[in-house]
Amino acid sequence: MTTVGGASAEPNHPIGRLARPHEAAAELRRFRGEPSANLLGVVMNIPTLLTLALVLAYPIIYAAYLSLHKVALAELRRGIFPFVAFDNYRRILSDPLFVLSLKNTLVFSAVSVSAEIVLAVAIALLIDQRQVWTSRITKFLILIPYAVPPIANGLIWTFMYNFDFGFLNRILFTLGLIHEPINWAGNPSTALLALTVPYIWRTLPFAILLVHAALQGINPELYEAADIDGAGALQRFWHITLPLLTPIIVVILVLRTSFAFAVFEEVLAITQGGPGDATWVAAWYAYKKSFAPPFDIGVGAASAYVLALVVGAIAIAYVKAIYRRIA
Amino acid sequence: MRTPPTTRLALHGANVLAIAFFVLPIVAAILGALQSEKSLQASTRTVLPPEWTLDNFRVILSGGTQKGAIFEQVTYLPDNVKKIYFALANSTIIAVTVTLATLVFAALSAYTVARLQLRWVTWLTNLNVFARFVPVIVLMIPLYVTFRQFGLLNSIWGVIIAETGFLLPYGILILSPYFAAVPREFEEAARIDGCTRFTAFLRMTLPLSKPALASYGTIVFIIAWNDLLIPLILNNRAEFMTLPVVIASLVGDVHVFHNLMMAICVLALTPSVLLVVLLRRFVVQGLAVGGVKG
Repeated sequence: MTTVGGASAEPNHPIGRLARPHEAAAELRRFRGEPSANLLGVVMNIPTLLTLALVLAYPIIYAAYLSLHKVALAELRRGIFPFVAFDNYRRILSDPLFVLSLKNTLVFSAVSVSAEIVLAVAIALLIDQRQVWTSRITKFLILIPYAVPPIANGLIWTFMYNFDFGFLNRILFTLGLIHEPINWAGNPSTALLALTVPYIWRTLPFAILLVHAALQGINPELYEAADIDGAGALQRFWHITLPLLTPIIVVILVLRTSFAFAVFEEVLAITQGGPGDATWVAAWYAYKKSFAPPFDIGVGAASAYVLALVVGAIAIAYVKAIYRRIA
Repeated sequence: MRTPPTTRLALHGANVLAIAFFVLPIVAAILGALQSEKSLQASTRTVLPPEWTLDNFRVILSGGTQKGAIFEQVTYLPDNVKKIYFALANSTIIAVTVTLATLVFAALSAYTVARLQLRWVTWLTNLNVFARFVPVIVLMIPLYVTFRQFGLLNSIWGVIIAETGFLLPYGILILSPYFAAVPREFEEAARIDGCTRFTAFLRMTLPLSKPALASYGTIVFIIAWNDLLIPLILNNRAEFMTLPVVIASLVGDVHVFHNLMMAICVLALTPSVLLVVLLRRFVVQGLAVGGVKG
């Protein structure tokens, strides 16, 4: 057997032991009566554990409890919630409005996330062109939508979309592109699509940043080699850039999908579910059931739970995608 | 490699489109905030208003006492607008407190993730990744019932507790890789000089991690400042509303003052947009590392 270094040759010699930093640390700890790693870990995690237990773990369990009980205004006042088993779930699954909300959520997420990925890759490539001075302006501006409060974003787009005096129509009139005002968010067949634009506007910066960060990690020699082989810009993108961006695109896809499933602020600000029920989405359904008369919190909790399960399935896909990237 | 002139022109064109897309809503909000309802409806096809006014801001910032020229005839003003200073104060107190609390809690936990090789801590981190995916509405329904029982509705403490909890996992995810990247040797040297494990962390790793703390702090402040759902569900009295809740309350109001709403939106987005512009570098870093919250 071969040993490396004198320290392991003489394990019991005090100087040999202290020569190894980790053991030296352990020696110091014993000498000063410091807490063990485990105890220190517990103590330092107390604030986090308490907060997460109260605000994450407990509500998830309690939401399941509420979804199996009748909890409306009268029950809230009395403080007694009668057990109704899966009645709330049966009610939402047979409610056409809930099914429509799920369908709308799906359409909304599919449209906004796919548009976002295409735009994010395009704009990330654009701001990567450092030799073009306008690209530097774009790069400076992309973060602004990230900072705008979602509800303010929603109201601003309400103003943009307004049929009578909205800003979008004004621009199109000024450019001479339309002669009659367009009813952007008031048309049942296009209202859901009209909602995706503000949402994309607000959440695009995050996607661009992730793609841009991934672009910085691509070895420039790959492009040089492609140039020598006579590859055009399109070929370089298709055979080098896109394959190397695929992992981050998967991450964005999963992250953005799961967040888009919970879209709320823009719906509240722009359409409130209307016109008719054209823009009811899952989070809006859960909110309206729980916090608008008759305050049916049991039903709201059940619908929120269905939403959480769908998002949870996406989250599992995300974690798997991440692990595959590391491996 | 030189860019051919046609490609350069196309790139400029694409940039102009992108810049227009990003800036347009902000410009619209500012133009809306600087004109009267009358001028808004007088010319409905021009971009620039026929007359400019600061009256919208004057009404809001005076809490409805100074009506200015354009609101002279108005008999109704939303109650929440009159209490705008409550909203400004609440938003500020909540965002600052949540930022400080999450920084402290997340730093403590992130250290245990980065430095103490404990199996249960790693397990906790994995749970954090999942926690970020739970839609806030799922948690807010049971929290509403619970806070109602504890009498935490209509208080800023309820909002602070809830937001701290929701933003903590994200912080642990951002801070722990940064702490792990700080060379252990600094802490070990401090320990030889008489520090305990904990004070070595406080005196060496923490000061060396200022950029990560700045990243996370900025992002948390912005999310807390912008958050609507939590204060909307927990607080419904004007004294406890935050700025986003006041904005939301105007949506279904009896009379919609578009210009007033744009002025409040401009007031609400200015602090967070300024923060992002000033601390751009940190925000970019935090988002790229954390990669978990949009």
